[in-house]
Amino acid sequence: MSTLLSQSAAVIKMNIQSLPRRLWMSLAMVFASAVVVAILLAFLAMSKGFEATMESAGSDNVAFFIRTGSAAELNSSAGRDQVNLIENSPGIKRDEQGPMVSPELYVIVDGIKKSTQQEANLPLRGLDQRGVNMRKGFTLVAGRMFNPGTDELIVGAGVVSQFDGFELGQEIRFGKNTWKVVGVFSTGGNVFESELWADAKVIQNLYNRGSSYQSVRAVMESPDSLGAINEYLKSEPRLTHEAQAESSYFAEQGKSLSYMAIFGWVISSIMALGALAGALNTMYTSVSDRAMEIATLRAIGFSSFSAFIGTMAEAMTLAVVGSLVGSLAAFIFFDGLSTSTLGGSFTQVVFSFSLTPELFTKGISMALVIGFISGFFPAWRAARVPVIVAFQSGR
Amino acid sequence: MTTENLFELKNVAKLFTKGKETISIFEGLNMHIKKGDFMAIMGPSGSGKTTLLNLLGGVDQPSSGEISFDGQRIDNLSESQLAKWRANNIGFIFQFYNLMPMLNAAKNVELPLLLTNLSSSERKKQVATALELVGLSDRAKHMPSEMSGGQQQRVAIARAVVSDPTFLLCDEPTGDLDRQTADEILEMLQLLNSKFGKTIVMVTHDPSAAKYATHTVHLNKGKFVKAEELLV
Amino acid sequence: MKDFYLIYKNLTRKKMRLFLTTFAIFIAFLIFGAIMTLRSALNSGIEMSADNRLVVMHKISFTNPLPYAYVNKVKAMDGVKDVTHANWFGGYFQEPTNQVVTMAVDPESYLSVYPELVVEPEQLENWTKDQSGILIGERIAKANNWQIGDRIPLSSNIFSQKTGGQTWDFTVDGIFKGNDAKVDTGYALIHYKYFNETQAWGGDSIGWLILTTTDPALNEQVSKAIDENFANSNSETKTSTEQAFNKAFIDQIGNIGLIIFGVVFMAFFTILIVVGNTMVLAIRERTNEIAVLKTLGFESSRIFKMVLVESCLLAFLGGLFGIGGAYLIVQGAAKEMARFLPNLILDEAIFGQALIYMLVLGLITGIAPAISALRLNIVTAFSRG
Repeated sequence: MSTLLSQSAAVIKMNIQSLPRRLWMSLAMVFASAVVVAILLAFLAMSKGFEATMESAGSDNVAFFIRTGSAAELNSSAGRDQVNLIENSPGIKRDEQGPMVSPELYVIVDGIKKSTQQEANLPLRGLDQRGVNMRKGFTLVAGRMFNPGTDELIVGAGVVSQFDGFELGQEIRFGKNTWKVVGVFSTGGNVFESELWADAKVIQNLYNRGSSYQSVRAVMESPDSLGAINEYLKSEPRLTHEAQAESSYFAEQGKSLSYMAIFGWVISSIMALGALAGALNTMYTSVSDRAMEIATLRAIGFSSFSAFIGTMAEAMTLAVVGSLVGSLAAFIFFDGLSTSTLGGSFTQVVFSFSLTPELFTKGISMALVIGFISGFFPAWRAARVPVIVAFQSGR
Repeated sequence: MTTENLFELKNVAKLFTKGKETISIFEGLNMHIKKGDFMAIMGPSGSGKTTLLNLLGGVDQPSSGEISFDGQRIDNLSESQLAKWRANNIGFIFQFYNLMPMLNAAKNVELPLLLTNLSSSERKKQVATALELVGLSDRAKHMPSEMSGGQQQRVAIARAVVSDPTFLLCDEPTGDLDRQTADEILEMLQLLNSKFGKTIVMVTHDPSAAKYATHTVHLNKGKFVKAEELLV
Repeated sequence: MKDFYLIYKNLTRKKMRLFLTTFAIFIAFLIFGAIMTLRSALNSGIEMSADNRLVVMHKISFTNPLPYAYVNKVKAMDGVKDVTHANWFGGYFQEPTNQVVTMAVDPESYLSVYPELVVEPEQLENWTKDQSGILIGERIAKANNWQIGDRIPLSSNIFSQKTGGQTWDFTVDGIFKGNDAKVDTGYALIHYKYFNETQAWGGDSIGWLILTTTDPALNEQVSKAIDENFANSNSETKTSTEQAFNKAFIDQIGNIGLIIFGVVFMAFFTILIVVGNTMVLAIRERTNEIAVLKTLGFESSRIFKMVLVESCLLAFLGGLFGIGGAYLIVQGAAKEMARFLPNLILDEAIFGQALIYMLVLGLITGIAPAISALRLNIVTAFSRG
């Protein structure tokens, strides 16, 4: 066994040393697997980043109420009387100001996207200090909070980075109304950073909403209170709403870009087949290029197993080098890349591509599959190179 | 006189530059080959045999001097003129046969005819004649890899004569063959010379091959010498 | 071409290599065909927009309604030919995920503004007369297997009925088709009047206006006139051409064009390198044979052409299979995807582009080895052998 190992090690070393002879073919294989890995990682990082942006926004402890069947905040509605009924629900935490409930408005306004200079939908959320306090990790990174009852608003950091004209101190016109940016806030990179926040009462007034709201958030006594809340909703005929944990609402929304991950897998798998064809060409060439050497080694007494392992190792090495190059390229070009797309409520969600170690593992696994298959068949041929080749002339 | 000599070389020189050094293969070489000759050129390696063969075959050009073929200068032809000249006048026979491995015997023989305006059926007829001449009619559909060395060389001869050139140039035609097969090939060349009037130049270092030629010249260090001098 | 047999034999001499290289090219054009079809499907809304159609929306966003009175005001303006309006119903069938895009419209004016929608006169007449009738697009009918005469309950994720509940019952009175395969028929139309009378909010408001101008050259002038007319009212408007409106909507999803271009480009570049390398290798292996051909009197330019023809044949061999494969995939996917993505059609334009790229691929991968074959010197080639 140890001789098999030392034989194989010697053959592997010779193969790697002879690589420069087949430089261009070998580079083509490295490049092909790098491209496959980079494309896969780009799509996975896009989907992952979007998912993280959505999922990290939701809290298990916050109940989220929208009208049954409305699917998204935008389509929901809740009158003042309905909000009052929700406040009476069991399972909702109270503090000195009463039940911890935040009725909110969600209207769409237009912003100019920096990347395309096109108009795109942004959500303008109406809420009050209670609602702001419900957002995990909320901090003002610049300026101050809006004053209730004024046409002041605060802007998510994501909006500032991706859209024109939302810097601190700017005035913005939506239709007939002018708003003043008095603060920029962060919520740790999640979806709320893609929003504009202003006082709910002001929005009701400017958008002719009377006293009605759209969605309602409430802090629960514990995540288990959800059952009791939903029972209450069913038993109250004046309420047409359903409650879910805020975290599960956003987890659902976060899946809306998962088609990008599927697309990434499909396209990179198809490309992997193309790369595989190239890699097989490279490896068959390598075997015919080294046929004389292989036969000579076999004549001296090396086993055909070592010839097999040598070729296999060469293919795996090239594929892994390719996957490292591809991963590095994906990391340099895509990790942290900030962009925006259309989310569940017809509004823009600003998110960043996110390359996690888990994704790198997937990329490298894909390259290993390419390496294995492209090595196996040529290695089989290498193992069967007849010894007699060593005694034939170069022609 | 022009009708007498097929080839005339006057004061031919061939120099190679290798880095800063200039190596002279020939200087002031004069030579003529009569029509209907079967000339063997012998000489040790490095004597300039191959270079001379390249010059006669029009695949290389002299550094200075004149080469005439049938009264016409060929040393000043352009590359594409030379290609046409080769196609019309010369048949080549190589040591390692140089058949196209992916073509069968008949298709290999047909290659030079692709350079003519013959129709497909005329080409087929000539190929059949050439293969019959070398005794391989029954092997027309065989691939080179399915034939022995001698058979391959006979296909190569058929390829050399199929377009009916006046001149055959053979570079060690028996170098890769056993004695008996070599003799068959040489007899065939002799037949082509005597019966079909082909002028033949054959480079070889096999004295028994040279015996088939009508006369033999010896080349050493770029000069023609007498046979005895070589033995010194 | 007498050399064709020779080229063919050269191309097919190493079966494994031919197969692998053809397969790589096949993959490249499979991706090309499928992705370009996808792109054209995403852009078909832009492509199919009529050049004289304008969309009028609330200035704040398309989710804000406009007063019904705007219809007649716009109709009276200069340069306006026909005006119609639509309300987003937010419809779904049984489950909220089973979306049925439904709009509440005025039948007569809507179909005159969208002449590309074709309905049998008899069906149209029935629908026009039937207040609770629905006219469904061919694609929706196929996707849900709905037929004329079916009664279908549609729920709204926005509106409620005055009588309570969010579900309306409609009778399928007709099925509209497009006069071109690329016309979207993935939506349904209901009567605005009926919708307005039965929904709980009331208020005589419309979602947006669509109008045609008498001459596309007047587009800009008419849009400006409309927006100025409603400036400083409670509902200011924003008028854009249908094309700009559709493009802006697609652009919101993100820079899809760039992503698609990136993927296709990388796929191509990779294949280019793989195939290019293989061609270089194949020609290098043939150094001796090329020298023989030259010795026999084949001119260098002729050999140059032979190599290029060989690489182009290879590109077309893999490429035609690839685009053919893409066609089959698209045909298969078109049925499956009809719900989300209409207009998956691999048309002549894409096929034509593919042919051009095959030629380019063939020439680029063949040029380097062809030049080295052209330059190959017989004397040095033989002394190497």
